[in-house]
Amino acid sequence: MTKGADFLLDQVSVQYQNTLALDEVTLSIAPGEAVGLVGPSGSGKSTLLHLFNGRGQPTGGWASVSGKRLIDYGRRDLKQLRSRIGFIDQGLNLVPNLRVSQNVIAGRLGQVGFARSLSMLLFPSRAMLREVHELLERVGIPEKLFERTDRLSGGQQQRVALARALFQKPVALIADEPVSSVDPARARDTIEQLTRISREEGLTLCMSLHNFELAREHLPRLIGLRDGKVVFDRASEEIGDEQFDALYTLEKNEMWRDGA
Amino acid sequence: MGPDAIPRQSPLGMRAAVLLSLLAAGGISLGYLGVAISDLTPSSGGMATAWKFLSRAASPAFVSEARFVPADAPPLIMIALDAAWNTLLTGAAAMGLSLVMGLVLGFAASSAWWRNPGVDGGTGLDGVLRRSAAPAICAASRLLIILMRSIHELMWAVLFLAAIGLNNLAAVIAIAIPYAGTLAKIFSELIDEAPRASARSLRGLGASGVQTYCVALLPCALPDLVAYAFYRFECVLRSSAILGFFGFPTLGLYIRQSFNATNYGEVWTFLYALLALVILADTWSGAVRKRVLA
Repeated sequence: MTKGADFLLDQVSVQYQNTLALDEVTLSIAPGEAVGLVGPSGSGKSTLLHLFNGRGQPTGGWASVSGKRLIDYGRRDLKQLRSRIGFIDQGLNLVPNLRVSQNVIAGRLGQVGFARSLSMLLFPSRAMLREVHELLERVGIPEKLFERTDRLSGGQQQRVALARALFQKPVALIADEPVSSVDPARARDTIEQLTRISREEGLTLCMSLHNFELAREHLPRLIGLRDGKVVFDRASEEIGDEQFDALYTLEKNEMWRDGA
Repeated sequence: MGPDAIPRQSPLGMRAAVLLSLLAAGGISLGYLGVAISDLTPSSGGMATAWKFLSRAASPAFVSEARFVPADAPPLIMIALDAAWNTLLTGAAAMGLSLVMGLVLGFAASSAWWRNPGVDGGTGLDGVLRRSAAPAICAASRLLIILMRSIHELMWAVLFLAAIGLNNLAAVIAIAIPYAGTLAKIFSELIDEAPRASARSLRGLGASGVQTYCVALLPCALPDLVAYAFYRFECVLRSSAILGFFGFPTLGLYIRQSFNATNYGEVWTFLYALLALVILADTWSGAVRKRVLA
């Protein structure tokens, strides 16, 4: 797998029982490209992101990652794919009562066997700890190396999640609303870090965001989703406020549905 | 939404209904057993024995009360300390063994490690086998756990006493089996109830089911597991003492011998030794639990 994965969706639909989460979506993301997904809750952003590391499978059409269709990935290939795609979940989902160093090291679990994973978590080598420390330095919290993760602030935990993703030596970074639970200053800082590091490392970056300003400022290409369909897919500077507002305007039946 | 669409609420909550049902079942059972309050009245002989025994609570023996004591017999206090030490060793060994078995069986019996939809993907034979083998292992483990728990340690002791004779190994295994069953059941439930978001996230990074179990689920459930294991350690000490009634050299052996010889002062000495042991274990486990749960 070369550095910077590429993603391709061709007429992809994803159906969960009675809900059509994605409806014939076609798009491609080139290696090293930075793309933002915007759209209201339930528009299919997370479903789309989960296709990129094979956590989800299309129920219609086909999706490919790094030139290979998802359906052709065997169990081992899928494990290998996941191990090289850094995925930052919306809730971060770090292991709360492990140390920061252990959470970061856990990023490489998919690349080693069971015995090795236990030994590197319980008795990490000096070289590995140095590597983790360097990553924490890069994200700005080197002093938290041996701190318990649940004792960190939300912003610091986000940095740990980023360090964990980078420890995977990933070919792509996927972030599902990474700044949904932090204040605007920290949100800006996190997005800056994500985009800067992806650029420096030549990684493909794809993240979903609700903050249009941040998305437009830091991501050169934005894809707007609504009801599982792509509403727009173009350069950030070509997208006006009115298009973004239209994306988020609730229709009357949606207000009733969401209890607004 | 019209008034007809509002779902009807039971005037009695589900929990209250369950509680009342349990109380009713208890009452009916007592009735069938023919239990009466008058059964509590002791016989005159029984009352005198009970009084003799209880009156020695404030004056336990410090020297042997036996009529004949061999010249080379150790002092009573040393016997009590030695019996307490044996009780502790037997309990600790049984607990260690049951912890290992409990963790392994708890893992196999918890559904958390195999119920990961879409993770062990593949619609081929390999995927189908994996998805069907895992629930089968889980069901077999749960059956084994039920078997281990359903037989009391005293019954296991009788069995092992007959099979391998009166030795420490028999006592340790007799306690370890039912305790491992109980630990495995509680462990599997605690693991299944632990938050799964971290585990799902690690699976998304390519971690295997066993890795996820050890690195995400187990640490999340660990404070509760440790708290419960320590609670069981207090219980194992009592079980270890009770096995003495079958001849194993723990506190129970001396309690039974002294009771049979009506040396009630000695009985209290051994009971206080057991009490001290349990209080020590409780204090220690309380301190550890405080650190783990912090």
